[in-house]
Amino acid sequence: MNMKEIKKIGRNWLRRDAAEKLRGNPVFCADLTLENPLTLKVLRSTHAHARIKRIDVDRASRTQGIARIFTAADIPGKNLAGIINKDHPLLVPDKVRHVGDAIALVAAETETAAERALQAIQVTYEDLPVIRDPEEALKEDAPRIHETGNLLFTRKIKRGEVERAFDDCAVVVEKTYRTSFLEHAYLEPDAGAGYVAADGTLVIYASTQNPHYDHGEVASLLGVAHEKVRIIQAATGGGFGSKLDLNTQGFIGLALYYLGRPVRYVYSREESFLATAKRHPLTITIKTGTDSQGRLMAMRARILCDTGAYGSYGIAVASRAAVHATGPYEVPNVDIEALCVYTNNPFAGAMRGFGAPQAAFAFESQMDLLAGELGISPLEMRRQNALREGSFTGTGQKLTASVGIRDCLNAVKPFYERVMEKWRHDPAPTFKKRGVGLGAMWYGIGNTGLQNPSTAQIEMDPEGSVTLYTGCADIGQGSTTVLSQIAGEMLGLSPGAIRAVVADTKYTTDAGATSASRQTYISGNAVKDAAGKLVEILLTEASNLLKRPKESLIVDSGLIRDKNDPEKTVPVTDIVRRAHEKGLSLKCQGSFDPVTEPLDPETGQGVPYATYAFACHLAQVTVDVLTGEVEVNRIVAAHDVGKAINPAGVIGQIYGGVAMGIGFGLMERYVPGRTVSLNDYDIPTCKDMPDIVPIVVESAEPTGPYGAKGVGEPALIPTAPAVLNAISDALGERIYTLPANLERVLEAAVAAGVFPGSHGVKQPA
Amino acid sequence: MMRPKATYVRPGTLTEAVDLLQDLDDRCKLLAGGTDVATELRSGAIRGRCLVDLSALPELKGIHEAEEELVIGSGVTLSEIASSAGVARGAPALAKAAAVFGSRQIRNMATIGGNICRASPAGDTLPPLYVQDAELELTSSSKTRRVSIRDFIQGPGRIDLKAGEILKCIRLKKAADFTMHRFDKIGNRKALAVSIVNLAGLVALSPDGIIQRIRLAWGSVAPTVVRSSRVEAFLTGKPLRMETLDQAYPLVQDAISPIDDARASAAYRRRVAVGLLFRLTTQQESPDSIMDIA
Repeated sequence: MNMKEIKKIGRNWLRRDAAEKLRGNPVFCADLTLENPLTLKVLRSTHAHARIKRIDVDRASRTQGIARIFTAADIPGKNLAGIINKDHPLLVPDKVRHVGDAIALVAAETETAAERALQAIQVTYEDLPVIRDPEEALKEDAPRIHETGNLLFTRKIKRGEVERAFDDCAVVVEKTYRTSFLEHAYLEPDAGAGYVAADGTLVIYASTQNPHYDHGEVASLLGVAHEKVRIIQAATGGGFGSKLDLNTQGFIGLALYYLGRPVRYVYSREESFLATAKRHPLTITIKTGTDSQGRLMAMRARILCDTGAYGSYGIAVASRAAVHATGPYEVPNVDIEALCVYTNNPFAGAMRGFGAPQAAFAFESQMDLLAGELGISPLEMRRQNALREGSFTGTGQKLTASVGIRDCLNAVKPFYERVMEKWRHDPAPTFKKRGVGLGAMWYGIGNTGLQNPSTAQIEMDPEGSVTLYTGCADIGQGSTTVLSQIAGEMLGLSPGAIRAVVADTKYTTDAGATSASRQTYISGNAVKDAAGKLVEILLTEASNLLKRPKESLIVDSGLIRDKNDPEKTVPVTDIVRRAHEKGLSLKCQGSFDPVTEPLDPETGQGVPYATYAFACHLAQVTVDVLTGEVEVNRIVAAHDVGKAINPAGVIGQIYGGVAMGIGFGLMERYVPGRTVSLNDYDIPTCKDMPDIVPIVVESAEPTGPYGAKGVGEPALIPTAPAVLNAISDALGERIYTLPANLERVLEAAVAAGVFPGSHGVKQPA
Repeated sequence: MMRPKATYVRPGTLTEAVDLLQDLDDRCKLLAGGTDVATELRSGAIRGRCLVDLSALPELKGIHEAEEELVIGSGVTLSEIASSAGVARGAPALAKAAAVFGSRQIRNMATIGGNICRASPAGDTLPPLYVQDAELELTSSSKTRRVSIRDFIQGPGRIDLKAGEILKCIRLKKAADFTMHRFDKIGNRKALAVSIVNLAGLVALSPDGIIQRIRLAWGSVAPTVVRSSRVEAFLTGKPLRMETLDQAYPLVQDAISPIDDARASAAYRRRVAVGLLFRLTTQQESPDSIMDIA
């Protein structure tokens, strides 16, 4: 395609949902107007691990305003959900595995009545031993949380001769890194609503990242035919991975199935904290060695993922953490094992990055430690080991194109050199130390070594109007705008002129989950494929009419014209009419499934992803050695996205990712049993935000739509490692556990001997 | 979330309010800005208690500046304190504490009287009031009395407010004869944070840098705000330098008794209590200082 003709791609487009949200239109589940709806509430376990001896709902059922109380016995279909492994009952039948497990569902006329009924339900528990620590869970005599055992999954990646390579290394560093449970803390707590349509279909509105998955799961839980369920994604106020699980959808479905009345369920912030997935805490022991020149030669990593009570996306997290553990570097010899283990902690699932952010904290700390041992600058250490075209990854995949890590490092280089020359060494305020750190990353787009297709349709009506049908849930990241831009580019129309039917399972086909930074790349390609087929039909017809070769024709602003003869045109509507007369369908199907190869279960060799995003952040921090306070002064964030379809959207993702990365790096920690709500879970405020310099790098991906890859998760991943490396640079002492909160930073300052005065070392009793 | 039952009254004058309180039992709860009461309502902690809303009482409003005294109505919001010229002149440390209190939305609602009566060990307005030996004026239908803030606050959430009494105003001697007025707060983030440690400090320095008078009050390091006459006496007459403050380290450790909680450990609080003291040797940054970072 002639690049000059591209007008819709690479331009900032106002988000298609901007106006309705700015106006405050009632678009979220909690806003929906339903006729005389029932309110749903769930009784949740107060015990972490216990058999349920008895659930007595008699008294509660008789309280005023109660429509019905449901327990596991009422579930007509298969009472197990889970996108990867099915282990999560909607309502627990016999035992609870974490505090917050769902025991009974109340449908009531009012919220007050529902609350009263919850308090009247009597549950008799028989406590079982509680396992909080995944190491404990792996012991042979540990009580089994699930009948299948506590080890859910192992991912191994083996390549080369690791032990021999370590023998030949000039420098070897081995450390253990730990991260915490995190809460996603999206703006909109989980919510759903529904009613039964005249034809008996259960219509469920949901705040969700994956309506087609919800659809199948609800049909399976209820044991009803697929056509009896319709999921409509309501406006979704963020998800970050947690809205990939069933949250309210199953409960709404169950109540609709039995009661036939409209229902609504909106989680309080407390329930959202208690009952939904968390980020997996990982313990990563990693040994990395280089030759005397600083070339990475070998890596051994042992990764333990605490998935809590249920699998959710735990298998994907363990797999991705293992694949990404080398970082965006060539490491010829690797031996990596990641274990995913059940405990009685809150269940952990997907959260922006699936284990890659935790892994990046480890491998980027290792890079700085090695650079320090070798006396090489952290930037050079990364540049000389960075992946390139022709490199092999730890899974033996040969990278052939769009390997933009060097471009990212080069984009950051002038900033790095300037701050290292001046800012880093200018006198800092008293009791403050300045530090500069780098964090690089790679991120495979799409699911790991699995098929993950997307489908889409484009339809042109007799008036020439275009409708895009996509199952892709826009959860605030802007996918509907991007997909409209792609369709608009293909069809020579303004993105705003394309009607978009989105994430309604009655009218759209499966686009897969809005996860793994996959929608621009995968659904973008599906839309492009569908639009391309429509263009093909139009141009074939026009070619016959205009007596011009198809190759010289283009569609633009409602006309088909000859590129070489601007006078030679025909209105698209004329062609559409001809097509209709000939009985040609102008609804075209598109699909795309990235080419991957499953990973070998023993060696992990294969092609996990068709393409990778790359990034490097530079962090400038000022650390207060009296208090452990860290001010992040600036983040320079270079991201290889292949092609920025909507640059404003890419930059928005980078800003949001940096904010979330600062939370991950410095302050966020969900403590099971203690953390209740945003009252005691601190996320960054605007005052904690640094100056951000986003740099969009475009190393085009040949298989991507217009070269695009993805940025949603990559935006978050490098920030925490960069900040942690900067703190280490400031203090001369490294922190190995996230978050690097006030306490840990001050401990590091004391250990580094930079806490002033004569009491710096010994802690008074 | 179930809304707990509570009767709610909003008297229009102080007389009406104290008369009303005389008739109500002591299970009623006073509501000023409501920023704490609202969370207690939500959590069910004050289920079933009647609420008396003091926010409409004109007698609790206003900041009055006299020659030597500053009188702040208990119903004055933190935003009003942060932007008051009178407070900036007479109690600069309090003005700083008000400016970094909670978030803008909370500052617009929360009152100084509410913060005092909440008696949280971490309350941000308390240390500045302790260093200026604030007196509280309490009024009931039968009498008015004054009590020092140190006597009024007895422990976390425990105050010397008798049944039927309302905190009417706070009286402060202006601290014009001090050269340094400091308030520092350490929280998990830069806004909307609960203090892990805070410190208010007033220092009168001689031209050659000798501490002539010093008053220090730490928050969140003991059940109530800590002032230590031993620390203050030790520092008086000595130069304001790191060496001097370093020598006070053990005295500070003796004066405080912090605990481990969800926000930080006792060990962290012990060290930072001194860290903030060391900060007295530096210029205080203005809250929105912009650094050249490029």
